[in-house]
Amino acid sequence: MADTTACRLYIGTSGYSYGEWIDSGFYPDGTHSSNMLDSYIKTFHTTELNYTWYQMPKAPAMERMCEKVPEHFKFAAKLTRTMTHEVKKDLWQKEVLAFRQGMEPLIRAGRLLCILIQLPPYFERSVDFRNYLAALLDELSGLPLAVEFRHDSWANDKVFSELARRKITLVNVDEPDLPGLFPRLSVVTNPDLFYVRFHGRNAKGWRSGSMQKQFDYDYRDEELKEWAERIRVELMPEAASGGIFFNNHVRGQAPKNALRLIDLLLRKGGKKTPWNGPSFI
Amino acid sequence: MERAIIHLNIADFAVAVETNRAPSLKGRPLIIAPEGAPRAVVYDMSDEAYKEGVRKGIPLSRARRLNQKIPILAPSFNRYEQAMKDLLKETFAFTPLIEYGQADGHIFMDVSASKRLFGPSVDVAFRLKKTFKKAFNLDPIWSVATSKLVAKVATRLVKPLGEYIVAPGDEEAFLAPLPLSLIPGLEKPDLKRLKEFNLFFVSEARGLTLEQLKIPFLQRAPLIYDRIRGIDPSPVRAFSETTSTLSADHEFSNDTNTAGSLRSALYLMIEQICRVLRTRNLHGGCTKLILSYSDGVQNTSASRLSPSTSNDMAMFKACALLLDKAWTRRVRIRHMRLICEKFCPPMVQTELFTPETKETRQVALIQAMDKIRNRFGKHAIKAGLTLTENRIAS
Repeated sequence: MADTTACRLYIGTSGYSYGEWIDSGFYPDGTHSSNMLDSYIKTFHTTELNYTWYQMPKAPAMERMCEKVPEHFKFAAKLTRTMTHEVKKDLWQKEVLAFRQGMEPLIRAGRLLCILIQLPPYFERSVDFRNYLAALLDELSGLPLAVEFRHDSWANDKVFSELARRKITLVNVDEPDLPGLFPRLSVVTNPDLFYVRFHGRNAKGWRSGSMQKQFDYDYRDEELKEWAERIRVELMPEAASGGIFFNNHVRGQAPKNALRLIDLLLRKGGKKTPWNGPSFI
Repeated sequence: MERAIIHLNIADFAVAVETNRAPSLKGRPLIIAPEGAPRAVVYDMSDEAYKEGVRKGIPLSRARRLNQKIPILAPSFNRYEQAMKDLLKETFAFTPLIEYGQADGHIFMDVSASKRLFGPSVDVAFRLKKTFKKAFNLDPIWSVATSKLVAKVATRLVKPLGEYIVAPGDEEAFLAPLPLSLIPGLEKPDLKRLKEFNLFFVSEARGLTLEQLKIPFLQRAPLIYDRIRGIDPSPVRAFSETTSTLSADHEFSNDTNTAGSLRSALYLMIEQICRVLRTRNLHGGCTKLILSYSDGVQNTSASRLSPSTSNDMAMFKACALLLDKAWTRRVRIRHMRLICEKFCPPMVQTELFTPETKETRQVALIQAMDKIRNRFGKHAIKAGLTLTENRIAS
C-alpha cells in the first residue's frame, strides 16, 4: 500500500466570510463578519482568500490577517483578476510586482500555502495564451503556485510535464460534466503540493451567471468516498502536502462537505465530526 | 444587523457621458461649462484637465487662463440624468435600497439583505461594474464596506479607476493613516482648526478624547469623533424616499375664493409635507401647486425653493407666492394639491456662534411644536393661520 503518512493535508473552504453560514449553523448566531475568521480557525487549518481575486492584496491588511490566525494556519490566495481575466498588455508585470508586495506578510510569516492562478473559461490552449501563461509563471517564479484551468484544451500530458518541470501544482477540479470544462483528474505535478478544488456538480446552475446557483451543490457521501479513496491512493503518496478546498459555499454546504471528507480520510467511517466542531488531519 | 454597502462612482461623470458620444475627446483635457453664460463656472472636467489645475466650481475665465486650448462643452443635464437613470435600472435588480446623487455618477447600495439571493456583496459590486462597462461604456470605481462613510473614502483613494474592499472590522485600521481631508463630513473650518493643532492625519486626531474635541468644536465634536473612527450609522435611503414626491391635498367643503381660507388650507398642507421631510431628515427643493376650480379648470404653478427647506414658515412664504400666481380667476376653488419634490439632505454645517435671528426662532418654534405633537398627537397644537380654515370647515 502507498505511503500516505508523510503527506500533510490542508482541508478547508474557498473563503470563510458568508453570512448564510450562520443560518446553516456553522457560525454561532450573531457572528459578526469581523469575527468569522476567529470562529473558522477553530474548525479548519486553511482557507482560500477569494477577495484577492477582486482586489490587489495590500500588505497591511495581510499583516492584520496573519495576526488573527495560529502559526500552523495556511492561506491559499487567488491571483488578482488583472493577471488572469482582465490582463492589460503593458501593465500586467506591474500588477505582478504589486501582488508580490501585497503577499509579502503572508510569505514572511510562513502562512502562504500557495498562489492560486485561476484562469477563465475562455483561456484555451492557443499560442497567445500559452505564451502569456509562460510569461506569467516566469514573472511569479519563486512563489508556490497552483494553476487551475477551466478549459479542457489544457488537459494534455505536455502541459502536465511542463508544470512538473517548473514544480508548479496543477489544480484538480471537481465540477459538473459539461462540454468544454476541464475534466475530473487526479494528477500531481509538484512533489511539494497537490491541490483539489470542489466546485459542486450543479450542471444547471453552472452557466447561470449567478454564484448562488453555480456553487449550490451538496456532495453525496458516495461522491466524497470516491474522492477520499482517490486522494489516499493517487495523490497523497505523490506529494509532501495537499490543499483541498470546497467552493460550494451556498447554504453552508462547503464546510459541511469538507468536514465529511476529513472524517472519511481519517477512516472514521460512519462516525461524524460534530457539524462545527474542531477537525484535525 | 451588519451592513454591506457598495459605493459605485463614475469619476467625472459628465465628461464620461460626453466622451462616450465623442470618443475623440477621450484621454484629453476637457471642460464642461456653459460657455455663453455670464460668470460661468466649471461644471465638470476630465482628469487631464484636473491635472492642469482646473477644478469644479472655479470661474470658467480662470480655467481658460490655465490653458486656452482645452475644449469646452456645454453641459447637457438631460443627457446626464438619462445616463444616471440607465445605471440605476441595473442596480435595482439587486436591492431597492439605493441612494444616488443628482446625475453625478455616485450610487450607494445597501445589499445587506440580498446576499442569500445574489451572493457576496463583493461579487455584486463586481458584476455591476462589468455591466456598466459593457452596457454603457461607463467604468465605475467601486468599493464595499460596512458604512457609507468608509465606502466613500475607499473610492476616493482609488480614483479615477479601481476598487477597494474594506473588510468588516478593518475600518479603524483602514482610516488611520489617511489625511483628515479625505474624511467626508469634515468641513473646511474643521480641517483648518485641526491643522492649527498640528493634526493632519486620522491617527493623530484619534488621540483626542470626545471631551477634548468638544473644546474647539462644541456641538460638532461627536460627529468628528465618530467620523474619524469610521462610525457612520446613516442609512442608505430607499429609492422611493429619494425620488418620490410628497404631496398633500385639500378639498374644500364649500367651494371658496376667500384668501384666508386658501392660505389656511395651504399652510395645513405645508405642515403635513414639512413634518414628513423633517422625519426623513430631508429638505424639499421644489414645490408645485395645482388649483382645481369648481368648473373643472386647473391652474398650476411651480417654483424652486431657494434655499431648500423643511421649515413650515419658509416654505409657506414661497408657496404663498405660488398661490398668487396660480389664482388667476374669479371662479371658486374646489381643490388644492401641493407637491414637493427634488429632496436633498440639509446642510450640515452650522456656525459656531449663531446669532439669534427670526429664522432661528422659527426653527426653535417648529422643533417645539414637533415635540408637542409627537407626545400629545398632531392636533395638540395648531398654527393660528390654520384656525381660519378649521372654522370654515366646521
